[in-house]
Amino acid sequence: MSWHVPEEDLRAYVRGELAAPALWSADAHLTSCARCRGALAEVGDPVALDAGWERLDAELDAPRTGLLEKLLVRMGVAGHTARLLAATPVLRRSWLGAVVAVLLLSVAAGHSVRTGEFPTLFLALAPLLPLAGVALSYGPALDPTYEMAVVAPMHGFRLLMIRTVAVLAVVLALNGLATLALPAYGLRALAWLLPGLALTATGLALMPRLGPVLAPSLVGGAWAGLLLAADVLRAGADVPLAPFTVAGQGVAAVVAALAAGLLFLLRDRFDLFQGRAV
Amino acid sequence: MTPTVSASGLSLRYGGTRALDEVSLRLTAGVTGLLGPNGAGKTTLLRVLATALPADQGAFTVLGHDPATARGRQEVRRRLGYLPQTPGFHPDFTAFEFVDYVAILKEITDRGARHREVRRVLDEVGLADVRGKRIRKLSGGMRQRVALAAALAGDPGFLVLDEPTVGLDPEQRMRFREMIAGAGEGRTVLLSTHQTEDVAMLCHRVIVMAGGRVRFEGTPAELTARAAGRVWSSTERDSGARAGWRTGTGSFRNVGDPPAGADLLEPTLEDGYLLTLDDAGAEVTA
Repeated sequence: MSWHVPEEDLRAYVRGELAAPALWSADAHLTSCARCRGALAEVGDPVALDAGWERLDAELDAPRTGLLEKLLVRMGVAGHTARLLAATPVLRRSWLGAVVAVLLLSVAAGHSVRTGEFPTLFLALAPLLPLAGVALSYGPALDPTYEMAVVAPMHGFRLLMIRTVAVLAVVLALNGLATLALPAYGLRALAWLLPGLALTATGLALMPRLGPVLAPSLVGGAWAGLLLAADVLRAGADVPLAPFTVAGQGVAAVVAALAAGLLFLLRDRFDLFQGRAV
Repeated sequence: MTPTVSASGLSLRYGGTRALDEVSLRLTAGVTGLLGPNGAGKTTLLRVLATALPADQGAFTVLGHDPATARGRQEVRRRLGYLPQTPGFHPDFTAFEFVDYVAILKEITDRGARHREVRRVLDEVGLADVRGKRIRKLSGGMRQRVALAAALAGDPGFLVLDEPTVGLDPEQRMRFREMIAGAGEGRTVLLSTHQTEDVAMLCHRVIVMAGGRVRFEGTPAELTARAAGRVWSSTERDSGARAGWRTGTGSFRNVGDPPAGADLLEPTLEDGYLLTLDDAGAEVTA
């Protein structure tokens, strides 16, 4: 081999200051020339070289930053909070479940509703999605790291809220997209929003007393019971069910606000283990 | 020596069961073993000391902080490492990602500092080479070491380990013991275990629990000494023995109150443990 990397270039290379195209030449040449690699080791400061290797090693080990995490950081979310959000597979599963459920809902609603009727099936099921999503992100039965997380110094309520906001943001956005697929109903197709918030807040507020499985299950059951009762009482097929009327929406807003207040009052209860000790 | 943990009169009831009954103890630097049969209240005690469960009665402090208040609980948790009995993992995480996740929960928010800490603790448990490997591809022993690394993140002064050697083969158990012994240098470790060998090999103090109560607290030598003069050999199972079993040599090893002229044997820690349980009226299985 007749050409070798000049010593000055090697020094610049070690310092990370060698510019292209000399950098490309050096890169290509060093991979096939043991003599220049030896020279590189000699001109480099061993302490800086070790530090460089350590940095490289650390970067190789470091968790990969996904698209969502990058997006969150760009939006101003702190890096570690973005990591907590993005690195929770439970969230991803509920996410995927929500996507599938909403798509199925949209299709079902589109096929089952006749002109003049209300998209009742969609409005009945859409509020359950955020409730289910939040329930799937929390609790000893569903979060494998729950027991370690509950004794960590980060407040359990803060972790719960981080996950809740993430689930709500995603599920509400997806529900919103599904609503757009029902343009004939205008704003009436948004009647799932306040009941959705009310169910989620109530489910969370009842968790400290009833547990992370029973509380959302009971709230979901109560919602189904309420809709069945409203169906029995309504005047005709073209009349919306009571929860989707203006009055019903008002009640949902009040329930959501009250439940949110209760949840805030009970926030310290999320710092303690919610399950049975052995 | 100033105790790291000082508890008095801890009681906790589940329905009609007294899971903890007036438990008082003091833990100092080094490894303290917590022995007891299933249902003795060991896990409940660990969860109370780890601030996961509040006791109905009694009080305790960890490194001078009282977890009865929200602020005190926070301070205790900043000094705590906890390895639960069945640590859960997100199986798609790598070992590094999992410990990194727990380190965030431990408020190590600076990325560079956190990653250095993750590397340090994974090195400490001998998993430097599998940092990037997914947890679902690791053996049971390695997963347990990942969980120990997560517990060690942040260099806690008080380490609570709930039966960490269960399900490990003898070689893995020995490696784990080395790590626990290392972790016990300069910090206080409370180790719940069914294995009397763990206690004999690792612990400077031992607590025996049965029925939610502390039945013994002292050194392993003192627990062993409880069986002095109460272990003997015979050619047939001695009906007066509280526990007895045929050994590999064909003779019976009996534990209890020996008959006159019995061929006394050197007691072990397990003999002392069995007799302590028997004295407490707990079921003895040998």
